[in-house]
Amino acid sequence: MTPTVQIEGSVGRVILSGQFDFSAHREFRQVCESIIANPDIKEVLVDFQNVNYLDSSALGMLLLLKEKIAAASKTLALVNCRDTVKQVLEIACFGKIFTIR
Amino acid sequence: MKILVVDDTEAILLLISRFVEALGHSALVARNGQEAVELWRAEQPDLVLMDVMMPIMSGPEAAVQIKAEAGGTWVPIVFVTGVGEENALADAIERGADDYINKPVNFRVLEAKLKAFGRTLDLNRKVREQSQTLADYYERAEEEKRVVRHLMDQMVNSERLADPQFDYLLSPAESLSGDLIAAARTPGQALHILLADGIGHGLTAALNVLPLTQPFYSMTEKGYSITDILFEMNAKVRQVLPIGRFVCVSLISIDEVSGTIEIWNAGMPPIQILDANKQVLRVCSSSNLPLGIVPSHSLDLVPERIYYKEPGYIIAYSDGLVEARNPSQTEYGLASLLGVLAQTHAESMIQAVQEHLNDFLAGGQHHDDVSLVVARFGLDERELQAKLDIEAVKPKVDPSTIDFNLATECNWRYSLILSADELRYVNTIPFMMSFVKEIKSLSHVQSDIFLILTELFVNAVDHGLLMLDSKIKTAPDGMEVYLAQRAERLAHLQEGRIEIDLMGLQYKDAEILKIRVKDSGAGFDWRAIYNAHDAAAIPSSTFGRGVSLVRALSLKVQFIGLGNEVEVYYLPTQT
Repeated sequence: MTPTVQIEGSVGRVILSGQFDFSAHREFRQVCESIIANPDIKEVLVDFQNVNYLDSSALGMLLLLKEKIAAASKTLALVNCRDTVKQVLEIACFGKIFTIR
Repeated sequence: MKILVVDDTEAILLLISRFVEALGHSALVARNGQEAVELWRAEQPDLVLMDVMMPIMSGPEAAVQIKAEAGGTWVPIVFVTGVGEENALADAIERGADDYINKPVNFRVLEAKLKAFGRTLDLNRKVREQSQTLADYYERAEEEKRVVRHLMDQMVNSERLADPQFDYLLSPAESLSGDLIAAARTPGQALHILLADGIGHGLTAALNVLPLTQPFYSMTEKGYSITDILFEMNAKVRQVLPIGRFVCVSLISIDEVSGTIEIWNAGMPPIQILDANKQVLRVCSSSNLPLGIVPSHSLDLVPERIYYKEPGYIIAYSDGLVEARNPSQTEYGLASLLGVLAQTHAESMIQAVQEHLNDFLAGGQHHDDVSLVVARFGLDERELQAKLDIEAVKPKVDPSTIDFNLATECNWRYSLILSADELRYVNTIPFMMSFVKEIKSLSHVQSDIFLILTELFVNAVDHGLLMLDSKIKTAPDGMEVYLAQRAERLAHLQEGRIEIDLMGLQYKDAEILKIRVKDSGAGFDWRAIYNAHDAAAIPSSTFGRGVSLVRALSLKVQFIGLGNEVEVYYLPTQT
């Protein structure tokens, strides 16, 4: 999986695709770091439109991202979740700590 | 490079070895194949430049021997060949030699070839070093895994998992499991089952679940509720694990005495409650964040409560089971699991699921840890009796012959007074149980004492201080209403106090435990309800069961004065 980044004004969108699991660890971290380091970006959206599966290590990566984003005083939302992704997020009750749209 | 030059012609030998030295290598010389082999053994040169036709042993023969002895180490052998030696040369190269150069030697070509071999040798050495490092690393990792596996086995303690009330299946995707199953009983014999799934699998997943075991076992043994245990487990996971690591957990409590199941599910697949015919009665879905993400006080740790009258089964599993995929990428699924369970006898459920899953995977491997717990509830009276071991504690002394006035010599005494402020927060009974555990004459009857203390204390709080009416419990949903009222009234309790005394009294050569519980409430007309010594008159309905249980366990139960004070005499069984 290679995440891509779209920047629209103050919104940075990280578009993921395929399987989001531990194998995406490095690419995901690099992309996120570049977005966090960008002072113009105020809101980060993680776009799951093309993700068909995510596992528990992906949830761990999202938690890490949330922590870093909060430290950089930006906001974070998870968007365009398909049913399979939504299901995993629901079982983990991530709706309680993430904005999911 | 250290180069072995072999030739039976002295002039050529000298010429080549000088040239080699001139290029900055060191040269060793041998005059036939035999010498070459011996010198190779002694000096282990990096490369061999060898004549083909030589007395005693020919070049190709020597080459075969050197190659055979070198084994995994690559020693390039280059033949220096005269005209008409093509056949022998081809043969030699087929049997392992690496290259050749024609006589008379063109030094420009020789130099180039030596450089090429030097490069390949470097590469070869690097690969060997790396594979050695990799092998070392692998061995170290295996050793670490062995240690962790041992640790896990010790901490998870599979002996304790041998409980007749439940069966389980645990099948790791790798040699270590990130799924954890633990079980223990409270002093009141409620069964606590923990099913946890650490993030990922293998070593780090296994490490994730380790912090759970200690609070689970120690707090269960002291009689803490699952809410308290979860609070502690979450705190522990947060303290130990880095951000981004968390543990999905189901904690189940089955209390056969009160007919209550409590379930708290965070991030695990929905727990299925089945009736005796294995039809789904109820589903307890995850309604909480996994442990380790937010502080304990922001978690809702109140479990789902189920009151049962009929027997049934609790089915808890990790996602690795239902998401296991066969070679054609179909998921095993919950329907398959429930289907197999419905068709199988209670005793062989686990085995049936295992076989069915194996057939389904058709020789393939599951990619995540697989775990499954099948617990029974609603044991019949006989099983329950055996579980509570009530038979064994029937007093050997006839209580009617005991003169309790004689039992006044106090060996030890432990007194506790709590007022409203403490009663709201202190978990009194587990707290007292840590004391009871330390008293030698009581440590083997903790279960009885826990039951007696719990009943007396709950009575004192609920009826003495909070003035709750047990009749509420008999209505439909009565238990929920009762507990809700209890929580509400306790939170607003402003005054009131409870005294608890534990005393070890010497009676003849035995030690009798006297428990006194007094509350500041109004009391009740015990004379009208209980005829002294007539335990049979007590109803065994949804309430009043507590007092009859206490009577069954102890020598004597005596209400005093207004009825806000009760004394219980208990004789520990002899060990």
